Amino acid sequence: MDHSDLWNSFSYFLSELNRIETIAGTLATVEREHYRKLTGFDHRELTDIAVEEQNTARQLGAIKQICNSMAQKIQELQDTYKAGSGGSAGRNEVH
Amino acid sequence: MKFIDNYLRSLLNEYVDKGYTRLMRDQYTENLFEMVPATKKAGPINLVELAMRAAKGLPVSRPLGSHLKLSPWEKLLFNPVHLYRFPTPENVSISTAVTIGRKAHRPLTVAIPLLIAAMSFGGALSKKAKIALAKGATLAGTATNSGEAGLLEEEREAARLFIGQYNRGGWMNTPEKYKRLDAIEIQLGQGAQGSSPQRTSGKNIGPDFQKVFQLKKGQEAQIRSRLPGVNSVQEFVALVRKLQKETGVPVGLKIAATHHLEKELEIALEAGVDFVTVDGAEGGTHAGQTVLEDDVGLPTLYALNRAADFFKKNGVFGEVNLIAAGGLITPGQMLKALALGADCVYLGTAAVMALVGEQIVGSQPFEPPVSMVIYNGKLTDKLDVDKAARSLFRFLNASVSEMEAVCYSLGKTALRDIDKSDLCTLDPFLAKATGIQLGHIAPEEQDSYFREFSFCHPEPEVFNSTRQEQQFLQ
Repeated sequence: MDHSDLWNSFSYFLSELNRIETIAGTLATVEREHYRKLTGFDHRELTDIAVEEQNTARQLGAIKQICNSMAQKIQELQDTYKAGSGGSAGRNEVH
Repeated sequence: MKFIDNYLRSLLNEYVDKGYTRLMRDQYTENLFEMVPATKKAGPINLVELAMRAAKGLPVSRPLGSHLKLSPWEKLLFNPVHLYRFPTPENVSISTAVTIGRKAHRPLTVAIPLLIAAMSFGGALSKKAKIALAKGATLAGTATNSGEAGLLEEEREAARLFIGQYNRGGWMNTPEKYKRLDAIEIQLGQGAQGSSPQRTSGKNIGPDFQKVFQLKKGQEAQIRSRLPGVNSVQEFVALVRKLQKETGVPVGLKIAATHHLEKELEIALEAGVDFVTVDGAEGGTHAGQTVLEDDVGLPTLYALNRAADFFKKNGVFGEVNLIAAGGLITPGQMLKALALGADCVYLGTAAVMALVGEQIVGSQPFEPPVSMVIYNGKLTDKLDVDKAARSLFRFLNASVSEMEAVCYSLGKTALRDIDKSDLCTLDPFLAKATGIQLGHIAPEEQDSYFREFSFCHPEPEVFNSTRQEQQFLQ
């Protein structure tokens, strides 16, 4: 893989991570709406499903955070690559 | 039937009358009522534990930690907002996810800031209970902890996110085990037992326990006071770096909260840990000696506040994660711990109680609820793993929902954004010690209020005035 391919791959990862983050946010909103509707019935099984929907929304929130962290790491890699330092980003620089 | 009823009533009446008369007439030396002041003097728990010591001559081990309430969580209150800052609109979702070990190659992100605390298979809980905890945590998108044990395959499989303890027993301390973890917690102590050694007798260790801990038949399980191979600060630093390099996952330190806290944390930061777990004196355990549970350590609230302040002073707050543990039961207490500076909190006793949930009826009235979850408990086979996992999941969900409800009222959009400025306290000493404003006094009058009370403890001004007085006298 030549330099331009690698650069394009980084850009592709970043763009797709942003897309996943947006989708996760949209789905979380839908799940929360389901939770609101399902808790309107005084029914144990529906309440159970509502609780699962609410929890799923939180897990989608976690996915958004993971995407964000990964995007930052890829950005760091891109910056390192651009600077041509050859050093590795992350823990090795810290410890 | 009515005749028997009347007869029993008159019989009961006669005996109650006689009883009351004896209570009032007999001197204490002959009176059963003597038990009441004696029990009040010693305390019912202390009295029974005293009798247990007298019966066996061995230290008494008590499940679930100290009964003493040492952290005054009830003296902290959240400050709702209306106009000064607007509350969060109801259509905005509250962010609850937390990432532990941002600088690690493989950080650990959990959907909620509630983690299942370290409770070991064998040393504490049954295999079924451990699997149920792992399943419940996975349903909620959070992590569970191995406790001081070896790698229990079924638990690893059930847990999507699994924190393992590099422990003083040495049972998780080989690469083929710790490389399968999502985060490593080096366990040097715990709130309920300090750094004291513990031992499980060989007679209480079954075949599955032997297998996970790699023990021979009849061999006891020994938790040492020191981590094997770590007898100096340099060896600890080297261990942290080795684990980080070999695994890429967040590597943290767990200690029992202590008044030496800052000195311990200084070394942890020097080693470059990704997170620190501070386990307050209220921390639970399967069976800790009562003296270790009640008389050793530092309460969770004070320890957490001191740890967060130390991290801030050293510029690592938010970079090195802080996990609070020890006696956190209600969502309010959990959220207050986050406000004081914790990124996540560990739930032990609360998680076990939630796990048993409605299945508690299976143990009553002849056995305590813990008999369904502890290793060697009489009713461990009765625990329905899937039902237990769902009970835990519901508990975690409800707890986070309650925490979110407060978050709206504070005008914040993420649980991690809640801090000390969202709290006030009703205790002047707590205000002075923690930097949380005193609820009795308006914010702008806090300083002058405390200045007026400076005679309570010698502050520099007092020394200065004394020196001036001395100069005047000369």
